[in-house]
Amino acid sequence: MTQSSFVSTLGRTLAGGLIGGISLLALAAGAASAQDLSLAGKTIGVAVVGTQHFWDREAFKGATEEIEKLGGTVVPTDGGRDNQVHANNHDVFITRKVDAVITILGDASVDPKLKALKAAGIPVFTVDHLSPEAVNNTASDNYFTGSQIGILLAKAIGGKGKVAVFNAFSGSLQFCGVRYDLWKYVLEDFPEIEIIKPELAEVFANSPEDARKQTLALLEQHPKGTLDAIHVACWDQPAIGVVQAIEEAGRAGDVVVTAVDAGPETLEIIAEKDSPFVANIAQQPYLIGKTAAENVARHFAGEKLLSQTFVPVIPVDGPEEAKRVYKQLGYGTIN
Amino acid sequence: MSLAISAPSSRAWLAGLVSHAALIVLTLLLAYLALRAPNFLDAQNLTAILRQSAPLAILACGLSVVVIGGGDDVVSGGIDLSLPAAAVLGAGIISYQLSVAGSGLGTALLFGLPAVLAVGAANSLLVVGIGLTPLLATLATSVAVSGLTKLITSNRRINVSNRAIDWVRDGDIGGIPASMLLALLVFAGLAFLVHRTRWGAHLQAIGASRAVASLTGLPTRKSVALSYGLAAAAAAVAAIAILARGSGSSPGSEEPLLLEMVLATFLGGAFSRRRIVTVWGALLGAVLVTALSTGFALLQVNIFWVSGIKGGLILLVLVAAALDERLRR
Repeated sequence: MTQSSFVSTLGRTLAGGLIGGISLLALAAGAASAQDLSLAGKTIGVAVVGTQHFWDREAFKGATEEIEKLGGTVVPTDGGRDNQVHANNHDVFITRKVDAVITILGDASVDPKLKALKAAGIPVFTVDHLSPEAVNNTASDNYFTGSQIGILLAKAIGGKGKVAVFNAFSGSLQFCGVRYDLWKYVLEDFPEIEIIKPELAEVFANSPEDARKQTLALLEQHPKGTLDAIHVACWDQPAIGVVQAIEEAGRAGDVVVTAVDAGPETLEIIAEKDSPFVANIAQQPYLIGKTAAENVARHFAGEKLLSQTFVPVIPVDGPEEAKRVYKQLGYGTIN
Repeated sequence: MSLAISAPSSRAWLAGLVSHAALIVLTLLLAYLALRAPNFLDAQNLTAILRQSAPLAILACGLSVVVIGGGDDVVSGGIDLSLPAAAVLGAGIISYQLSVAGSGLGTALLFGLPAVLAVGAANSLLVVGIGLTPLLATLATSVAVSGLTKLITSNRRINVSNRAIDWVRDGDIGGIPASMLLALLVFAGLAFLVHRTRWGAHLQAIGASRAVASLTGLPTRKSVALSYGLAAAAAAVAAIAILARGSGSSPGSEEPLLLEMVLATFLGGAFSRRRIVTVWGALLGAVLVTALSTGFALLQVNIFWVSGIKGGLILLVLVAAALDERLRR
């Protein structure tokens, strides 16, 4: 079974079963029969903010492979994890006169470009970027994501303690805001949990190393017994550096780590024995990209799309679940 | 200069080839893009290139003034690596004022622009007052200024929505993008000062040989100090262009600008007859470097190759300049 068909089968199973109740919108989008969809003769621009990270790469792969499977031609661009380069790349699609654009991630600097594309009569489909210019945005169910990771964090520290949070993007990326706000909303139910101020801000590129340094400083400021958890609110690349710093400082067993995304590299860290990294929420970036491509085809088939399509996520609580989800998402096996 | 003519012909030929190497490679690259990149020469694409190149063009013009006054020796000559960081600081302060503190545009500019000029003043003090090597002094201010930007913006992106700023981003006058008009204004001002005034003539003489200029009684210290101030003034305008282009400020936007600014400025030197850095060369260099980026994106060249090619071009320009110097001796 190829990875893409595995993931899509899995996606349907999940949407229909496991957390279907929360993901009604994903079902609604999945209603059109996939067999009729076609992008034959269409050229689709696919802009991704970077390809260094698993999530970005998989969403990009999901979109481009599905476009080609549906008979379309892909014009790809890669921002190299630089939001300005990513925004500028959209000019290429106007120059190339593509039939539609899928744009993956990006901050507000991309919005004027989406406006220009719409003005040029090119329909825009976004992934993790809510925009009034877009026909549709495909994203993880971030409401479920945020609340679930809040519950898992509270559980991991026994409902009390001090929590530091890396939260650079809740103000600038809408989906990060949803994840952060719902996480915080859940923690309000636990009056003995305190979020340390000021919050930390991670960087967008080379985040593991930056987060490692920031965490080492944080651990200095909060000696043993005064810090119980570090949460990365919107993704988990920084968490790799956070875990490194905790282990370097000999604070494993003292401080736990939670985050969001759960690609193979972070699932492997969670699966390690006595890992400080205790919980995560696994997204399905390949399925998200694939769904965006299908939505383009649905749009051309004349179907009216909802402005958002939500793709289900899978909570990961501890090493055993990390191993199970790793296998379930087709990343291989961890022993 | 006349020595090259009297040198053995093979050597003169080699010298000619070396000094034109960067120009030849650039021409070949652009010709390739014009032929192969789909719709590269479309009016829409050319306008996009102009629009995108504005912040870079402004910074490169600013840097050219410092290089002209300090001499183009890469190690000991004039250079200001802090210009992109200073511009991003300005963009950060203006964004903070507009979107977080809720100030009007006038107040925001009143906070942001003097901060950029202050960086220039600090550089003047370090290089002229204390006598530090410009390369290291401005590298240090660049790092310090980036830290300050992170402090002010809490290392977060700040979105800005302001009609005047949006106009700089999207507007045009007679088909010329507004941001490019800003760049042309900076270019015209600096080109006039450097190439059309007595002060500019002195600055060029100082850059060519500090010792000789000093002996003839030119005010070398004052002129060089002013060149850092002018570059900072350009960076202040670049702050507005960067803010408009990004619809706000993002931490870390100075990094890619630094590489491209140095490339554009020294590449610009390849266009002058005497292979020296000029203001107009820097402007042209900035547009061509942006054209390269756009062309490579159209051709779907891997983004990491694009960085590699730009880095390679910088090396080529610097090596050619160094060899040129040696072969002409």
